[in-house]
Amino acid sequence: MKLKKHRGIETLKSRYGLMFVTPWIIGLLLFFVYPIFQSLIYIFSDVRVVVGGTMMKWVGLDNINYIFQKDPEFANNLGQGLFTLLYTCPVILILSMIIGIMLSGQFKGRLFFRVVYFLPAIMAAGSVLAMLFQYQAGDVSSIQSDESVSSGMIDVSEIIAFTGLPQQIGDFISTTLSGIMNIIWSCGIQIVLFISGMQTIPELLYEVGKVEGATKWEEFWFITLPMLSNVIVLVLVFTVVDAMTSQTDVVMTQAYALMDSQLYGRASAMLWTYFLCVGAATGLVLWLYNRFCASRWQ
Amino acid sequence: MTKNNVKTKTPKLKVSKESQYKRYTRSKVGNFFYVLFLVAFGAFSVLPLVYCIVTSFKPLDELLVFPPRFFVIRPTVANYAALPGLLSNLRIPLSRYVFNSLFVTITSTLLYVFLATLAAFALCKSKIKGRKTFFLIVQFALLFNAYTLSIPRYLIYSWFGLIDTYLVMIIPHVASTMGVFLMKQYMEGAIPNALLEAARVDGAGAYRIFFQIAVPIVKPCLLTLILFGFREAWAITPQGTIFNESLKTLPTIMQQITAGGIARSGSAMAVTVIMMIPPILVYMISQSNIMESMSSAGIKE
Repeated sequence: MKLKKHRGIETLKSRYGLMFVTPWIIGLLLFFVYPIFQSLIYIFSDVRVVVGGTMMKWVGLDNINYIFQKDPEFANNLGQGLFTLLYTCPVILILSMIIGIMLSGQFKGRLFFRVVYFLPAIMAAGSVLAMLFQYQAGDVSSIQSDESVSSGMIDVSEIIAFTGLPQQIGDFISTTLSGIMNIIWSCGIQIVLFISGMQTIPELLYEVGKVEGATKWEEFWFITLPMLSNVIVLVLVFTVVDAMTSQTDVVMTQAYALMDSQLYGRASAMLWTYFLCVGAATGLVLWLYNRFCASRWQ
Repeated sequence: MTKNNVKTKTPKLKVSKESQYKRYTRSKVGNFFYVLFLVAFGAFSVLPLVYCIVTSFKPLDELLVFPPRFFVIRPTVANYAALPGLLSNLRIPLSRYVFNSLFVTITSTLLYVFLATLAAFALCKSKIKGRKTFFLIVQFALLFNAYTLSIPRYLIYSWFGLIDTYLVMIIPHVASTMGVFLMKQYMEGAIPNALLEAARVDGAGAYRIFFQIAVPIVKPCLLTLILFGFREAWAITPQGTIFNESLKTLPTIMQQITAGGIARSGSAMAVTVIMMIPPILVYMISQSNIMESMSSAGIKE
């Protein structure tokens, strides 16, 4: 189990490497590096959209001061956003790993279940269902406005009322259900990633394990988990990114609302603060992971 | 690991299937709970789709019921039947939208997958200066989605004269960083350096190494990437960058139909159901056994 990291083959000359990356790097610079840099500048400016472009005025730290000291909601939202990420991400990661491993086994109807678990990912990409999903993300049992009726949603409370349970139990069940719903709905892509990760684990390792008399439990800890370590890192990063950039995230919602009212400076300041917090937290987790888990597994 | 990895390519398909089957045989009770678990959680992801399909069969009076009902009492195909009528009012024929959607989706997905794989291979297996820096940028760029960057991006589009062309839908999608991140992470574990070295010693050039060795190994990931690319490109709704009606894609019509209000919600659901079919098909193809066996039989030592 020795993994030699970053030992590129000497023989693949770096000029070929450059040739391979160049087209992509051009795209990266144009559509990510430059715009990100620009949004960094927005933090310190008063941005206005005028005919034929934007007009910027340097305002120093005004935007940052504003969001932390004057904005009544931002500090609260930031805390809430970070806290939500803290408990949803591990749950999503573990659940999608379990389901991913289960779905890579051989059993009848496997393709059916794979499709079932991937459905949310497909539906969430469509715009109408993104809308539908938004309403579900809120409290399902809350009173529905006309618009949510038109977009259509599942009324869990009605189903519960149908079964004749008392109100409190009904409320509890519908809150729990919508919680589980949200989490399952964010698992789609992660499950696919785990399935494709499972496909790279050589069958031979399990055979060796069986010959050596390993139990299923040991097989999981000593073969499956270490071999999936790259995928786990991938899924962790993906989950964090996906959860925080989703439309339902409180900080994002606030920043988007500001962007809609053309306060790009404040919106950028908010987004950058949030990104830096999450980036630092993810970095810490990855560092701990590399330090304690990855080194032991290799 | 390197050694093991190289060795495993030898077992024939049949052997690996058998052993895989053995690996997952369990008692009947175990099997029951296995399926029960999958069904219980699967219900959550499938219910909204069921609701969507059910709603698309509801007649008008049932759509207007408050609170909305889950099940349909008197199913009707009126919502589907009304679609041609709704669509015939369009100034541009429907086939144009279909073509636009397919063209944009397929082009951008192929380009996206190809460029991401090339770049990931180079970032992962060659010694380019600054590759670690680039990878850091990739990870950071993941956080910024299209909406967050819409203003600076718009400026770039207008500098290059991309506004109101197909390119404005294709290029940003191709440049997205998720593919490179995914592929690089995957390649690091899956492609043994020894294999690449062996190929090099045997006289394969960089392109040959890439197409004949790296690509077959990462096939499962490649399929996943195609799926992700397709899924996203299919749902692209350009905002403020496409004005020419003849360049718009299917999701745009869907929005127009949805904008019709409650009375149209049945038709909106019908369109949604139809729109979801292509990504599901792509997914099923990418997950089917044929593809899997191809990926495992793709290489020999």
